[in-house]
Amino acid sequence: MVVRTARWGWSRTGWQRLALMLLWLGHGAWVLLGPNPGRHWTSLADALSRPSQSLASRWEHWRVSRRDAARSLTETRGENARLSAELAQLRTQAAQEAPRLAEADAAVRLLGLKQQIPLELKSARVIFSTRPATFGGLILDRGKDLGLVSDQGVLVPEGIVGRLWSVSGTQAKVLPADAPNASVAVMLMRSRATGVLQGQGSGRALIRYVSNQEVVQAGEAVLTSGLDRVFPRGLLVGYVGEVAQGDLELRVIVNLSAPLDRLSTVLLLPPQPPLEVQAPFLALEPKPQPKRGLP
Amino acid sequence: MRIPEPSAIRQNLLCATALGLLFLSAPFPRIQLVVHAMLVLALAPRPGAPLVGALWALAAGWTLEGSLRLYPHLGGTAWADLTLTLLAGWMAGRWPLEGLKGWLARLASLSVLHALLLHGAVRLATGPHPWGWGWFWTLLSVPVWGWLAWRLLHTGAGSGRR
Repeated sequence: MVVRTARWGWSRTGWQRLALMLLWLGHGAWVLLGPNPGRHWTSLADALSRPSQSLASRWEHWRVSRRDAARSLTETRGENARLSAELAQLRTQAAQEAPRLAEADAAVRLLGLKQQIPLELKSARVIFSTRPATFGGLILDRGKDLGLVSDQGVLVPEGIVGRLWSVSGTQAKVLPADAPNASVAVMLMRSRATGVLQGQGSGRALIRYVSNQEVVQAGEAVLTSGLDRVFPRGLLVGYVGEVAQGDLELRVIVNLSAPLDRLSTVLLLPPQPPLEVQAPFLALEPKPQPKRGLP
Repeated sequence: MRIPEPSAIRQNLLCATALGLLFLSAPFPRIQLVVHAMLVLALAPRPGAPLVGALWALAAGWTLEGSLRLYPHLGGTAWADLTLTLLAGWMAGRWPLEGLKGWLARLASLSVLHALLLHGAVRLATGPHPWGWGWFWTLLSVPVWGWLAWRLLHTGAGSGRR
């Protein structure tokens, strides 16, 4: 039996078929690649690099956000420091201007009071207070230069203060209403009972000569009666704090409404004022509110 | 009756002539398409020598696309021509010619297939493009160029070389 061994290599027909196949496949591949064949490699490279690009994008985004956060923190700290300094400056400025503001407020209120009382009022500034001392008082910055004389009434928007005790050339001393040697003719608002207010110190005073027959309630307003010809009738003096029965008369303790320890500017009544003037200090009785729906 | 195949020299000379006409008829696209179909479907296929026919088909395709075809990516026509020439050669070997009518019918069917494959290949290579009327003129003139190719290839062909 003869065994034929195949020759190494291909026949002519095989080479032709291979060439045909290569031609057909090559043209087919060329056709399928289409225009701009490089775009396939580009798209492939894009697809392969997408994870790394995403990672790099996230990393860059994290860095940017971290930088922005650090910048915002620094800016916030700087803003806080600037605002703190500005706040401290404003507080200092407010503290410096507080007395002036208080004086301006008091001046405005005095101006309002001055417009409400139809009398020729004069104003003076309190420059010193000797009230803690025995028989102390308030020292005003105006005296005879303003035409002041003794026994002129002194008042503030909250109520009466006292009267002028002595007057010098450029200063005057006020005897406050709560001084032990001070006396003011007063009357009770509801009972219309009159009496004489005698100081007891510390913003308190006692009404003398009120009969036991009178009915006086705590909290009742006390007004000037005008009988002393220092204050006209109807100026607010204070409010009844305590009422006690005495042997012959009531013991009525009055809390003075004027803040005698915190006065900066006062008004001075003219000497020998008329008996009746408008009473601006009276707390008006609350008016009944008209019901809704009614004319 | 089996029709003898033409000699290789005659067939190659006819293919070369058709290729020259294809190049020269570039200003006349309708005529060029008919010559192109005649070269690819009728003259180039040869059962025993597929490589030679494939080269003629490729030359026809690249010549057609190289003349006034401004496609962004050439090669689709050549690939379709190559495929159809190989198919026609295989059909010629598988079902030998027996007459002019069968030859014309085969050319008509191959023309339709060639038009479809040509459009598809160019579409793949360059993108969407209009169909045009070349396929219609080619199919309409199948009796003319088919009869002409029949006369040129097989008239007087005795014992052609395979």
